[in-house]
Amino acid sequence: MEKELRFLLVRDDYYHQRGYWVIAGAMRDAGIEVILGGIQTPLETVETAVQEDVDIIGCRIMQGAPSIVIPVLFDKMKERGIGDVPVILGGIIPEKDERLLRELGVKDIFHPHTPLKTIAERVKAIGDDYKKRNPKTEEK
Amino acid sequence: MCNEDVLKELKILQEKYEEELRRILSKIPDAEKEYVTFSGLTVKPLYTPYDIAKTDFLQDISFPGQYPYTRSVFPAGYLSRRLNIRQVTGVGTAEETNKRWKFLLSHGASALSFVKDDGSGARADSDDERVKGLVGRCGVVLDTLYDYETLFDGIDMTKYPVHMITSTAYALACYLIIAEKRGIDFKKLRGSMSNWMRPENECIDMLEYCTRNVPLFNIGYLDMRNVREGGCTAAQEIAFGVATAMAGSDALIAKGIGIDDFLHRVTWFINSGPDFFEEAAKFRALRRVWARIFRERYNAKNPSSLLCRMHCQTFAPTLTKQQPFNNLIRSTIYALAAIMGGVQSLHVNSFDEALAIPTEFSALLSVRTQQIIDLETGVTDVIDPLGGSYYVEWLTNKLEEEAISIIDTIQSMGGAFKAWDWMCNEIRKAAMRSQEELDTGKRLLVGVNTLVDEDDIQTRALKVLDEHADFECISEYDPAVLDRQIARLNKVKKERDEVKLKRAMNVLLEVLRAGENMMPPLIEAVKCGMTQGEFAGLKSEAYNQAGEGPYLCSPPMTLA
Repeated sequence: MEKELRFLLVRDDYYHQRGYWVIAGAMRDAGIEVILGGIQTPLETVETAVQEDVDIIGCRIMQGAPSIVIPVLFDKMKERGIGDVPVILGGIIPEKDERLLRELGVKDIFHPHTPLKTIAERVKAIGDDYKKRNPKTEEK
Repeated sequence: MCNEDVLKELKILQEKYEEELRRILSKIPDAEKEYVTFSGLTVKPLYTPYDIAKTDFLQDISFPGQYPYTRSVFPAGYLSRRLNIRQVTGVGTAEETNKRWKFLLSHGASALSFVKDDGSGARADSDDERVKGLVGRCGVVLDTLYDYETLFDGIDMTKYPVHMITSTAYALACYLIIAEKRGIDFKKLRGSMSNWMRPENECIDMLEYCTRNVPLFNIGYLDMRNVREGGCTAAQEIAFGVATAMAGSDALIAKGIGIDDFLHRVTWFINSGPDFFEEAAKFRALRRVWARIFRERYNAKNPSSLLCRMHCQTFAPTLTKQQPFNNLIRSTIYALAAIMGGVQSLHVNSFDEALAIPTEFSALLSVRTQQIIDLETGVTDVIDPLGGSYYVEWLTNKLEEEAISIIDTIQSMGGAFKAWDWMCNEIRKAAMRSQEELDTGKRLLVGVNTLVDEDDIQTRALKVLDEHADFECISEYDPAVLDRQIARLNKVKKERDEVKLKRAMNVLLEVLRAGENMMPPLIEAVKCGMTQGEFAGLKSEAYNQAGEGPYLCSPPMTLA
């Protein structure tokens, strides 16, 4: 049987958790396996992604400056050999940063009020695409 | 509100009217649907005295400044105590935020608050790799006493009430040290902070310390504004806050402190959202629930204990990136509900909330919104102007009834500190429901799921403004904040006496381990130059907490 898509969701601070939980619930309802990373630094996110063997990483941005945090995340991912795992972002992402982030390789950016269905479809499409290109070995 | 005979007659007339109403509505497509408030209360098309027949004017509504304080906590409402215009401020380093404060005061803001970039007091210092990208972004960065001193530079703490949006004892220590240096008597020192009531030593220690030593400082806090933002309903907002205050009170009473010694220093942070009448009624209902619960169940005798005072910040989840100037109109209406509901202090969200951090430009518009309501509309001239409206009184009763029922549920679980996870789940469930309503179009949001503009002229206008204005129009994070802050931090670390600091930190560590009140040794250690990150490190050591993300110890417990 086809294994569920493994989606790691992390956030950058302890407060204002609404988006984080709503996304977690909606992705779970859409049949995606959500790994709740909680509050993580980029380094911790990479470690969790490796340990949990995830197909896609979602970062809820609130406190951090995405133009600084996300390049650090990509650097650490490359160092750890998971540079091709797709990353998506949600939250208050300044438009000026959006161009830079997409150029860096962020697969999609979701602003407030994006319908949950749209997000679930995109997560599935992006995650499945990655899975297709990186078939998992049997022992996993 | 009427005698029996009048009510009987009224009932007949009302039934007749409702029949006629049904006949009219049945001919109009979709008009017969169920109408619900933003929080899900079913409403009728009309309210009459019959709907508030059991309401007794003197018992339930009464006069402003009189029990149960439904109309206002003060006898003269805004006539004697004007609305505090208090915009949340927190940009870059302490220097930049101090500058923004002075800008807002020069334009008529009447109170100040700052938000730390890390409200927790659990985070590592700015020179730590883990906080890269977080420093001075969503608030002001404050690592040391030196930062707090810069922040308060030239600000008269006795004239402008400062609210510190942080729950850490480190901030309180700095505030007290600055006041002491300025020769302000602790018995006269005012101020407030977001020390939301939670089952943690740091919270309870601050409550205990201020009750005994800084009696006018509003040290108790109920942050239901952000809980509402997290998704809960208006009745839950009241109930979760009151129940949390009850749990905090129980903890203090267990330490031998009387209810009347601290309850008058507990203030509210509350929301004001889209449903105009429901929100206006909410403030009225809250004042009544608060007074009744603490008089009836806690036997509070000091009239000040029963006064529920509120700082309000308008609702943000409905602010849109699309058609951004619409947010000015939204926030104005939310502010109007708050002022009609009689809040003491207000922050109006800026129109750029869904885009970035507010600029001077957008923050000033928020100040002006409040000034226009206050100075031009006459709304603040009459106390509780909505009092007596059949609909608003019915809503007030309904919200009180729902809130009391939720409070009783929480009490049956052993109180709010024990029902914490249950409350978290309720909030998340409500948030899911609310998002589904938006996605399915059951709830409308202009520019998002209705009246969508393919060519969004407002967004274009803002871009043009941003390109051509000679001021900052859309805030951008300045990465150089980090270097400036590290320089400030290094200065403190270079100038402090390490031996003296080590000694003070050891005393603090022992007190934390013993579970004694941390405030006195904390104040000493801060005076010796201990940074906030070092304090977080001590908490981690004393409480055996591993920390997570940028936090060295556990961040404070929150509901949402």
